[in-house]
Amino acid sequence: MPPFPLLRLPRLVLFEVFKSLNIEEKIKLSLCSKKTSIQINNAQFYSQKVIVDLDMLSHTIRVFSKNNKDIFEIFTYQDSGISHNSNTHQLPIECCTTGIKTFWKNHREGYLSVIRHLLKMFQCKISADTKIDDIVQSQPIISELFDLQVEFKTLTIILDESKYQNFLWNQISNNLGLVKDLNIISFLDSEFIPVFTSWPQEISIICSEWVTLESLLTCTCATIRLDWSYLRNKDLGVILRNWILSIYTKYLYLMSFTPLIMFIPLLPTFSP
Amino acid sequence: MTSPASSSEVKYLIESSEGNTFDVSGAALRQSNTFNAMFLNIGADGPIPFTDYNEATLKKVFEYCEHSVNEENYSGPKHQDDLSKWDLNFFNEMDQKMFIDVINASNFLDIERLTSYCCERIARMLRGKNTQEMIKVITLPTAEELEAKQKVEEKKAAAAKKVAEKAAETAEKTETLEELPVQQLVQTTRNKLTRKYLSFSNE
Repeated sequence: MPPFPLLRLPRLVLFEVFKSLNIEEKIKLSLCSKKTSIQINNAQFYSQKVIVDLDMLSHTIRVFSKNNKDIFEIFTYQDSGISHNSNTHQLPIECCTTGIKTFWKNHREGYLSVIRHLLKMFQCKISADTKIDDIVQSQPIISELFDLQVEFKTLTIILDESKYQNFLWNQISNNLGLVKDLNIISFLDSEFIPVFTSWPQEISIICSEWVTLESLLTCTCATIRLDWSYLRNKDLGVILRNWILSIYTKYLYLMSFTPLIMFIPLLPTFSP
Repeated sequence: MTSPASSSEVKYLIESSEGNTFDVSGAALRQSNTFNAMFLNIGADGPIPFTDYNEATLKKVFEYCEHSVNEENYSGPKHQDDLSKWDLNFFNEMDQKMFIDVINASNFLDIERLTSYCCERIARMLRGKNTQEMIKVITLPTAEELEAKQKVEEKKAAAAKKVAEKAAETAEKTETLEELPVQQLVQTTRNKLTRKYLSFSNE
């Protein structure tokens, strides 16, 4: 059977073909040549919505559909001189059983190149977790994604004493509107107190002793979850009063260490 | 015979690129959104010209439409595994050239079901393959081919430029020839007038 002239098909037919491909097939096809990549990028708005999960520790980028049924993994490796067919592909790659291996000068370049490639193909939302072990690598990547105005589905940030975490916070704090679900983990002994100049849609803070009543009242998030909170009864009284007056209309999940109130599960959004 | 009526009994005449005509039922034709938009309400006097497609391709496309007339309403693309035996035979009978012609015609006629099945069939060619295998399945122009194509295009452009230059040159020449008698006339008149003026002034 002679090769099929895929790229000579009418534009709409080609888009229909791309629609029929799953995430893995589409990524592999996009890597076949510059032309296939351009055509797939042209069909981006007809493409499926995906979540791009950045696992910095295992150097893996996981692309999956919202229902988790369609998953594909891209591994980034530092180029160790392994011969790979970079001349014939869009990215230097090798196929493996669970996904594809890509080779780069360093992981940062790899991550950013792969993410840029995916952003052109799919309607993407990023999910990222900046762990202490890999903050040196993840900080510039996350910062650059914010610069690209990429939307985040979830972002987990650990606030510790490291200059990288705090530097990252300062870079992204005015762009948190791009984040749907922000998780902040801070250490009890941390002296760094984040300042919010923008808010995500939902926020969850573990070790939230630094959260003050003022910041809580100015927060625009639809849902706020505070674990290990040190808010006092007086503060909670103010929140309840505001809620009764319909000023405070957010969902608040609160786990407190104060002895009198151990757990207030929910302040609903409906008016009392 | 053609008729504006939309009854399934009504037959329409279709004209192919060869100039041949053949009958298609109204019910089959109604699966084409292009036909619906163009002819269904206003009818057509004489054969409907789909002259970008040959008879064999059009017959194949309308064979599919005639078959799917009695099927339940189309509700989005089906997976290839859900295709009936008849559908599978229909696709398997075609060679690649015919398949591509059918896709193009189906796309033009906007027959959703057929186009969608064709696309699913193409997607199936790529399924379960790695990039190297995909490259083998689809025709991708190589660097040499691209270079050769570019050279041909450059040559064509150069030839076109030459032709345009020659045409411009010819036009310029023609313009000069056409203008010459007028200029001569003006010059002669000028000379005569000058001579007259001089003779007057001498007198």
